[in-house]
Amino acid sequence: MKFVCLNCEAFMLFQKVEQPGEGTLGVEFLCPTCKARFSMVTNPGETQMVQALGVKIGGRTTAPEAFELTRDTLKDGAECPVPAFSASAARAADTPSTGDAAGGSCPFSSVVASMGSGASATGSENGPTSLEWSAEALDRLAKIPDFVRPTVRAEVEAYARKSGESFVTQAMIDQYKGTTAELAWTSEATKRLENIPFFIRPMAKKEIERMAREQGRAEVTADMMDHAKTAFAKFMGG
Amino acid sequence: MSVSMAPSHDLKTILSKLQFPDDAQVMRQIVDHTLQVKMRMGRIKRKIVVMSGKGGVGKSMTTVNLALAFARRGQTVGVLDVDLNGPCVPKMLGMSGRRFEITPDGAAPPVGPLGIRVASMDFFLRDEHAPVRWKGSMELSPVWLGMLEMNVIREFLADIAWGELDLLLADLPPGAAADKPPAMANFLPELDGAVVVTTPSEVTTDVVRKSVLYARDVGIPVIGLIENMSGYHCPHCGHESDLFVGNVESVAADLNVPLLGKIPFDRELSQRCDGGRPMLESAQPIAKRFDDVAQRIVDCLNFRQIVADTL
Repeated sequence: MKFVCLNCEAFMLFQKVEQPGEGTLGVEFLCPTCKARFSMVTNPGETQMVQALGVKIGGRTTAPEAFELTRDTLKDGAECPVPAFSASAARAADTPSTGDAAGGSCPFSSVVASMGSGASATGSENGPTSLEWSAEALDRLAKIPDFVRPTVRAEVEAYARKSGESFVTQAMIDQYKGTTAELAWTSEATKRLENIPFFIRPMAKKEIERMAREQGRAEVTADMMDHAKTAFAKFMGG
Repeated sequence: MSVSMAPSHDLKTILSKLQFPDDAQVMRQIVDHTLQVKMRMGRIKRKIVVMSGKGGVGKSMTTVNLALAFARRGQTVGVLDVDLNGPCVPKMLGMSGRRFEITPDGAAPPVGPLGIRVASMDFFLRDEHAPVRWKGSMELSPVWLGMLEMNVIREFLADIAWGELDLLLADLPPGAAADKPPAMANFLPELDGAVVVTTPSEVTTDVVRKSVLYARDVGIPVIGLIENMSGYHCPHCGHESDLFVGNVESVAADLNVPLLGKIPFDRELSQRCDGGRPMLESAQPIAKRFDDVAQRIVDCLNFRQIVADTL
């Protein structure tokens, strides 16, 4: 990808790449003629796409090592007993990586967390162990048909972990139940949702509903849309 | 005072006058990647992919037993398990739990029975039940996943220190993963061809037909078909009878591809694959079948010589 300065009719030159926030890249370009400077900022999805290319924008500063993309990108890579490999330390001085700065396995975990998304907040990334349940909570779980019981159990436990709880009670089940109820949308909110391009609308709807549930709302209103808009703008640095 | 920001030329005209500068060094790295693949693959005489349009037809079992058959012929063989998400070649060869050795020259592949060198995603996993999970949020955008897998395959081709090989067999994932055959064709323009595995079922052969045509479309020559589960080999009396009804001969004729062989369902072979105890000798009839298929593949690859000799 290149930028062209239409006034000077020249390719803008790559200057540097930086990491203005977790999960984003800022790639700075300079027009060699008028000296105008631009920074292209990527969102988490675009950052992930760039990472998937397996290249370092601006060039490498360390020698390539075998399977560096595979090993850096495998979620369980740190637990994989591959022979000693010092690339991580060496890579720290390289083009900024979007991964694991916070020690989490998802490179965007802190971004998503800052948005309040549940994307990475569903418990331990390395296979959660079962939580303890109160006898009453287990009784309620037992009333659920057995073929869906494991799914419900996993979802309630994920919800409990997200809430910072390690013990599942009846109250916790009630709270979880509240999160699964279908939300109503006012016509105004629906209309505003339709302003969002169709290909990202489902993602946006899901995120807005998650925010609404977090606020204990039963309905998505125009006011909620304003709140979501502010949250999204904050996430994008707007 | 106002400054006019309107460009004097359209973008097409401007670009025609400019030379693309790779100042971010992205193109250079991509070229380096390609050169690295070429360098590695240049030391391998023959490269064959084993594929099918259908899942569960026995691609990995076929790959493993063909590798053993070629190794029995005295060839130096490598097996590349391209099924990134469901790698099972190591288990079938009794190599679960093995690891790559990362050296300055690349990743040294573990060596299995009959000296077969194996590369698989399985060698990166914590244990045999651990799924392949990538960092990155699927909720934000899983679009990057295809590109990531393509680059992981590129690393498998570029970073493994195979050394000199007579043959590299690549076990592709089921045909639904339609990006893998073109990825392989793109990385390996000198690919010798594909062995396509089918079973005696109309549903399977319908899908296999599509994959043969698809392989041709992306520039992969089809060496031939292998019909797996072609009948049942009785472990008691040795009699072979039909298990399903199929007509692979007519499918091969329709597609104008050679039928390389038919492999009957064999309980012992199945148990050995599951248990990681591959058939190393040709003593068993089923192993002999794979020897025959291997011979046919050699004949197909050398058909010009055979035509020259026999026409």
